[in-house]
Amino acid sequence: MTDLQTAPGAAEPKRMCFNRRDFLILGGAAVTVLATYGEGAQAQQLVTSSYARKVIGKLSGLRPGVAVPFNYPTDDIENILVMLNEEAGAGVGEDRNIVAFNTVCPHMGGYMDASVFKPEYSVLGPCPLHLSTFDLTKHGMIVSGHSTASLPQIALELDGDDIVATGAMGLFYGYSRNPSGA
Amino acid sequence: MATSTIQNTDTVPLPPPDAEVLTTACGYCIVACSYKVYRWPVGREGGMAADQNALGVDFPSASGSWISPAQHNIGMHEGRPHHMVVIPDPDADVVNRNGNHSVRGGTLAQKIYNPNTPTRDRLKYPMVRIAGVLTPVSWDLATDVMAAVSKHVLKTKGEHAWGMKTYSYEYFENTYAISKLVNRAIGTPVYAPHDKPQNAEDAAGLDDAGLNSFAASYEDWGKCDVAFLSGVDPYETKTVLFTEWMMYGENPDKKMIFVTPHRTMGVEYGLKNGGLWLPVTPGTDTALHLALAKIIIDNGWQDQEFIDKWVNNKWEIESGFGRGTRNTRWQWRTTWGRWQSDWEDYQKFISNEKAAELSEAAAITGLDADLIEATAEMIAKPRQDGSRPKTSFMLEKGNYWSNNYMNTASLAALGLFCGAGNRPGQVISRGGGHQRGGMSAGGGKGWLSPEKYPGRRKKALNVDRWVMDGNVSFMWTIGLTWFAAMLSSQELSSRVADLTVRNPHHPRNLNRDHLIETLTKRVDSGGMVLVNSDIYPVEPLNTQYADIVLPAAGWGEVDFARCNAERRLRLYAKFNDAPGEAKPDWWAISRFAQKMGFKGFDWEESNDIFEEAARHSRGGVLNYYALAVHAKREGKKAHEKLRDLGTTGIQTPIRVIDGQLVGTKRLHDPDNDWGEIEDVTTDQKWLYAFGTHTGKANLLKTPWTNDSWSDFYAAIQPRPDKGEIWITNGRVNEVWQSGFDDLRKPYLAKRWPWSHIVIHPDDAAPHGIESGDLVEGFNDTVYVQTGKPIGVKDKELSFTELMNSGHIKTVTGQFVAVAIVSDEIRPGVAKAAFNYPGSMANAVCHAVPDPVTGNYRYKLGRGVLRRIGESTYKKNFLEMSLKPRPIA
Repeated sequence: MTDLQTAPGAAEPKRMCFNRRDFLILGGAAVTVLATYGEGAQAQQLVTSSYARKVIGKLSGLRPGVAVPFNYPTDDIENILVMLNEEAGAGVGEDRNIVAFNTVCPHMGGYMDASVFKPEYSVLGPCPLHLSTFDLTKHGMIVSGHSTASLPQIALELDGDDIVATGAMGLFYGYSRNPSGA
Repeated sequence: MATSTIQNTDTVPLPPPDAEVLTTACGYCIVACSYKVYRWPVGREGGMAADQNALGVDFPSASGSWISPAQHNIGMHEGRPHHMVVIPDPDADVVNRNGNHSVRGGTLAQKIYNPNTPTRDRLKYPMVRIAGVLTPVSWDLATDVMAAVSKHVLKTKGEHAWGMKTYSYEYFENTYAISKLVNRAIGTPVYAPHDKPQNAEDAAGLDDAGLNSFAASYEDWGKCDVAFLSGVDPYETKTVLFTEWMMYGENPDKKMIFVTPHRTMGVEYGLKNGGLWLPVTPGTDTALHLALAKIIIDNGWQDQEFIDKWVNNKWEIESGFGRGTRNTRWQWRTTWGRWQSDWEDYQKFISNEKAAELSEAAAITGLDADLIEATAEMIAKPRQDGSRPKTSFMLEKGNYWSNNYMNTASLAALGLFCGAGNRPGQVISRGGGHQRGGMSAGGGKGWLSPEKYPGRRKKALNVDRWVMDGNVSFMWTIGLTWFAAMLSSQELSSRVADLTVRNPHHPRNLNRDHLIETLTKRVDSGGMVLVNSDIYPVEPLNTQYADIVLPAAGWGEVDFARCNAERRLRLYAKFNDAPGEAKPDWWAISRFAQKMGFKGFDWEESNDIFEEAARHSRGGVLNYYALAVHAKREGKKAHEKLRDLGTTGIQTPIRVIDGQLVGTKRLHDPDNDWGEIEDVTTDQKWLYAFGTHTGKANLLKTPWTNDSWSDFYAAIQPRPDKGEIWITNGRVNEVWQSGFDDLRKPYLAKRWPWSHIVIHPDDAAPHGIESGDLVEGFNDTVYVQTGKPIGVKDKELSFTELMNSGHIKTVTGQFVAVAIVSDEIRPGVAKAAFNYPGSMANAVCHAVPDPVTGNYRYKLGRGVLRRIGESTYKKNFLEMSLKPRPIA
């Protein structure tokens, strides 16, 4: 498990902030390695085109089990930032337990805000429409329910006390193409 | 398309405005949601503006029309690559209104054959096992060999040595062809559907009461005030029925009562909304039903007006039978002194039945007496104004696959006391498993079965046992797992291996004469030639054992038709090419039958069979004859007439009123009496009355102690001295059946990459088992019935007598699964995933059928749990969430 902060290519995070024009100029070959996950043969690399970097919270302001809403990559897209009680896939921070997820259920667009966050299980849900639940330790994987994709996860980095959103893993509900926010 | 473990897709192609649109329905659970397929050649995409895409909506869309990346794929159409988007029909006004869907149906696009995805292992060519290795051959050679060996078997050993076991549901066109071959051409009684060892009723107690298992409409589950759900959480297994009709529907404030040891998400929702959870000890539902009936009758809460009008009295029951032999199953059971009852008799019975007493029932079922009383009040107690709650009763496998006859007969009686069975919102019905795709050609040869009920009455043949006893020389299996779905799975699998791969006669080359000669020697030496048709490799059935493997074409690759749980008939359109030489099963039957010299199998397309079978549908609840006749009058194919009805389809039986085709919402409902029979409508009494000779329901009594149940139930109890607990099994929302498609859908494969078992912390702690650990379930005493017993006297098929006569043998069984330790399950009961490849949880269950019906008690496994070590999923973040299911 490699922390996002030390992931290859992330040593100088500010330089990785391509805007959409840069991406196109580079012919689509430029991709940002956001993180590696797993161990040994299971290690996976997440690659994505560039998203806007945005400071979405302060490490010193986070409390375990309390979800904080934020918008990213555009003002139309709401997410929550949480410090879990356990280590999580793509978690940042000393305990790798800080993660962020989109709040719209990819089943049929139900809205899952901080009030349905279950810190004792590290689960978001159930969705008020049809009861889907999502495992925030496993990249937003469906626990029980109907979503055909994991809850989109917002990739995070730490920059001192700043928590920085750097990308999204998964297509946001209602979109045919994720906005980059750039 | 997401194919990496971490989802990194942030775009999905939109269909352009000129994309072709085809209609279909989901291929998985019985609910059968409506789906639309958008198809267009690769090389271009639609745009985000409403006038730039075929959905006609602006993206990003807030309208509810969305395409998840899992709903797009690239497949072949007429030999050219096409984009294919498969989404729940956003315009649906039946079944999945407004595009609701399950995760199973929502990922249908991932099942499209695409060699860039895990579907690349689809079976593409007929294969023959040469020196242990499956080797591609032509259809012509494969069917030549099948026909030559079959002719030899029929000539030298007769039709009892030629058998088939196939799915019961995979579309009318295929099942009709299968049944025509088995019943009319070969004429063998050696046939069983995928889910049973024999060809007989699933929920016989319902049938005997006169209740069709699929009498209800989805609307009824929406309309009821109280839903009594026995052995089922529809959220897990009939998802959209629950999330669309039960959570919402006409009465969203309904109370739900769940009788199941597992508190799944639907149960949790029920509890949060004023319902009840009855975590019953496996196998004891009958005692619960008896106690509820007694409380209701003692308090006078029964629907007397309904009982007086709709339940047979003693003389009415007897009136239908004259002095005949009472040779058929239902005649025998409903007039046999043990079960036969009526309202007067039942009151006497219940007042003397010890298991019906509250304290006794509480002890048997392991339920709190207060909970049983609260349940009785909720389902039956009239309100202050005298009105009654509209209560509907649903049953599924936890009920009828644990104590088959008694649980179904006692639930039917309980429902009738509450006035349910034939009215809106007051129904008694199965929730359903597979879709209703069975269509018989008639002429069944069940009467050739060598098995007999007491009194030498007709009894269907147990095909598993017939095979294990070495009586079958040629066996053709189609679209099933066989061993994992049946009981004592390892013993059955091992016996089939004895008869096939462990027989010394195996072909060494593809010479036609050599193949036939070698497999004929197999047959003559007491072995069995095994043919399997499927869409995928199935471990071990076709990967290790089958001599001939035939590649099938299925959902989306051929035009097919079938019904759902509310008998809604729809066309499942072909929209992509099947891989390689894969052909629909009816086509394989057709080629084989013609080589056998049988007439009437020369169909050219699936519509030919749909039209031929229509005539045979007339006597049943899936009657679509009128549609076929009207299509012919209009000069169009019956499939095309059905295609015109799109995702709405029509509910069978189809009738004609004022010249128009009209569907039937609910069976047994007196409001269905539509006067004069018009045109080609088939009149059936069960349309507007119960399915008995009088049209009134039969009340059946179910004494808890009797020799068809009690001795077996005593023998299979978990033994505390060995540290055993109940090990039952069931399905989970995110896996359809054996996971044949799901394990090839990247997202679902990482959700459940291996089988799981839910264990209560009290049962896990003594073994040091934690969530994520690999656990072996092991039963050192699995009972298996052998031989071909014929019942002459009443007790001869009881467990005790079978044991005494040497017809029960004892074997062992085990499986391995990943533990999920959670208090969502009743202590003393663990629940394993049903039929997961490589983890046959049914191996710890006993292959001894209910002597009253011939069906197995599938959910009554037992064993010890042994920790093996940590699974790879315990500490990784990529696969298999281990969180509890009921989080609300």
